[in-house]
Amino acid sequence: MKHTLEMKNIVKRFPGVIANDHASLTIHAGEIHALLGENGAGKSTLMQILYGFHSMDSGDIFIDGKRIQLSSPKDAIALGIGMVHQEFMLVPTFSVVENIVLGLGQGAGPMLDLPKASSKTRELSDRFGMAVDPSAKVGSLPMGVRQRVEILKLLYQDARLLILDEPTSVLTSGEKDRLFAVLRELRKSGRSIVIVTHKLNEIMELADRVTVMRDGLVLGTKSIQSTSQQELAQLMVGRDVNLHAVKPEACFGDPVLRVEQCVIDEGGIEKVHAVSFEVRAGEIFGIAGVDGNGQSELVEAILHLRKIKSGRVFLAGTDVTHMSVAAHRAKGISYVPADRRGVGSVAEMTIADNAVLGLQRRYTRGLFRNMRDSRSSAQQLTERFGIRGAGIDSAAGKLSGGNLQKLILGREITSGASLLIVEQPTRGLDVGAVESIWKELLRARQQGKAVLLISAEMEELLNLADRIAVLFDGRIMSVFDAPFESVDRIGLLMAGIASSPGSTSVASQETERDQTL
Amino acid sequence: MTKLFERRLIPADSPGAVASTTALALFAAMAVTAIFFLYYGASPVQAYFGLFHEPFGTLRGFGYSLVRAAPLALVALGTIVSWRSGFYYLGFEGCFIMGAAAAGWLSLLTAPGALLGPVPLAIFLPLVILFSLTVGGLWAGLVAFIRVRLGGNEVLISLMSNYVARFFLQYLVSGPLRAPGSLPESPLLPRDTWLPFILPGTRGHAGILIAVAAALFVWVLLEKLPLGYELVVTGFNPVAARYAGIEVDRRMVFAGFFAGGLGALAGMVEALGSQHRLMDGISGSMGFVGIIVALLSRLNPLAVIPVALIYGGMSVGADAMQRRASIPSSITFILESLAVLLVLASDILRFYKPNFSALRLSKLRASGGEDSA
Repeated sequence: MKHTLEMKNIVKRFPGVIANDHASLTIHAGEIHALLGENGAGKSTLMQILYGFHSMDSGDIFIDGKRIQLSSPKDAIALGIGMVHQEFMLVPTFSVVENIVLGLGQGAGPMLDLPKASSKTRELSDRFGMAVDPSAKVGSLPMGVRQRVEILKLLYQDARLLILDEPTSVLTSGEKDRLFAVLRELRKSGRSIVIVTHKLNEIMELADRVTVMRDGLVLGTKSIQSTSQQELAQLMVGRDVNLHAVKPEACFGDPVLRVEQCVIDEGGIEKVHAVSFEVRAGEIFGIAGVDGNGQSELVEAILHLRKIKSGRVFLAGTDVTHMSVAAHRAKGISYVPADRRGVGSVAEMTIADNAVLGLQRRYTRGLFRNMRDSRSSAQQLTERFGIRGAGIDSAAGKLSGGNLQKLILGREITSGASLLIVEQPTRGLDVGAVESIWKELLRARQQGKAVLLISAEMEELLNLADRIAVLFDGRIMSVFDAPFESVDRIGLLMAGIASSPGSTSVASQETERDQTL
Repeated sequence: MTKLFERRLIPADSPGAVASTTALALFAAMAVTAIFFLYYGASPVQAYFGLFHEPFGTLRGFGYSLVRAAPLALVALGTIVSWRSGFYYLGFEGCFIMGAAAAGWLSLLTAPGALLGPVPLAIFLPLVILFSLTVGGLWAGLVAFIRVRLGGNEVLISLMSNYVARFFLQYLVSGPLRAPGSLPESPLLPRDTWLPFILPGTRGHAGILIAVAAALFVWVLLEKLPLGYELVVTGFNPVAARYAGIEVDRRMVFAGFFAGGLGALAGMVEALGSQHRLMDGISGSMGFVGIIVALLSRLNPLAVIPVALIYGGMSVGADAMQRRASIPSSITFILESLAVLLVLASDILRFYKPNFSALRLSKLRASGGEDSA
């Protein structure tokens, strides 16, 4: 088989992280290649390098064995490489054909030849079964059609390799089927397609081969026939080192957090469907699930960072559904968000200032901020949690991911809250940092705090949680009690497969219902 | 081949690095401007001496420098409060005008025979400060409200609102507040409401004291009060601010209100301290120049007073230079603009570090080349 494109040993560093660590990838002509990995695994960076948006620190890219240079997206498209971004880059007030020729300088001299471009667009649209009207205004089109306009724009420029970043995240299930049909047509015409995603079922349905990335590393490429959803899930979220935490005897108290029939929607798409659960004092309640199945939305809604469409949230018996974030914090919720740099800390401010983020009204002396106390609290955190790499007066952005996480976790644990919500606490951290964070979470449990742990890492949940709920597609599929004997079943549920053969699976029941609705 | 300057992933941000790159930028701006002095047949050394001697070497000139610096500093402080809170307000020209108009109007009310009649300065001053501050605060606070509630773009709205304020003042001075006579301007404000002169024998007035007090207050707010902490977090990262329980929208409206109030105080100081009447064009673009002062101060409230003094002083020096040596004062604008551009651009230098071993190597190679020759 002829290789169309090879990326070899791509290295890309950003401040504080290696986004791509000697990543290599080969894409054949006429295949649909899935690039799989969790958020922050480096897949988008790798594709942005291929698209000429980022420069790489080292590495080589070859097309048909010839080394190529990419310094801008223009170079990439000239070589037949195009990308459809997660957020579409279209002008809503322009027609389809105007968007397609935008920036291409089509036509004679300074004049655009729109009729000609229009007929070429129609021809391409018919050939690949896209049903796009070139004269329609983009702003009036549904998301699925806008996406096809983006694809048409690339085809118009004769792209041979199309990169689609999370192409199904904004689509309804009908639009998704439509997209897949178009992509299969494109494959038939000999074009290559890379879809960047973390949705396993879509990969199984559509792709020919899949490459899995984690922490900037390419773990391997498999053909779809020789792999399973479960194996991919394990590759994507698993960790190579075996860690074991010693979990003391549980001692549960009263329920601290109760979520009742919580429904959350975003832009008309329901992200969480009527989820209910309870977390008791002294308990670590785990929510397992692959990214993008509604975990982040659920947590944000509990804190009122996001609106709840319907349902209630109780904290120690008080209805806090509609209380402000500050009121939630005052009532004793602390939260370690998944995004350490973007949400949990302010990179530009000092470590001492970050040590009181969210507690700024507590560290006061009279009218003034109590600098001495906040500095000594920062000092205590660095000592107790072993935060290394920078003094408390340097910017928090200078800390490595693990040290920054320890700072945030330390701040939230020591704030005296009765409920600790922890989202993906050890993602991307090295083994040492993982161990110390696990130890701290167990210690919080021993102190009688209720801990809600959202994680995609099986090992983490199995080691820490007293109960595990599996969240898939915004629904709790099942809740398991420790000790967890049906590990395989949890993994399958995370991938949306109910295991017992013969009976209709929950997942397929739900999809059926979606389609009939 | 090794590079002589290596790129850093994170810029050097030690005070020394910032100071040295800023100094380098200022020096470069002065060096480029020197070319223009030469073009006019002037010695750059003498020209620079003249430029700084008048405003800082003579009492009279220093008085003028204070007069120019006070409103610039107040506008700069407003810029710092709003920009550091993530509210990119550009409507200080409008706030300035509204503040001047409010102060002028209140002052005219104390004229003999007017509504209030004479009021002692000790009562008038706090009143007029409060009144101007509120007017300017509402003026800018409205823009902030539109931004957080309706998602309006504060840059556009605030720029446009400058025109509204300008036309409003034009209306006042050609209509209700117009003095008898040919020029569209208000009568002279009652002498009792003027800001006291603080440097005997000069025009230097108490406005600079208001500016210094405001600078200290803004510094305390941003560095020492929990409210300021919340403003700064909001400015750096609104997502993290929300996460920390900070009501981002309210903080932004507060920042808009307070910044607008400071801008209006600048107008008040100019009207009551320097012009002593209202007229079209009273702001003299200080609502924009003040933003530049804030940028040169790197949004640090304590740096504002010296920077405003230098900036105001340079314009005084430029006028003197034009009078004496007939060098166009616009050269000073070139110098000022270059200084702003280069100081802001100098940030890029902090992303590089000299590779000393490579530098040494290249020097060695150069000397080695001589040896073999």
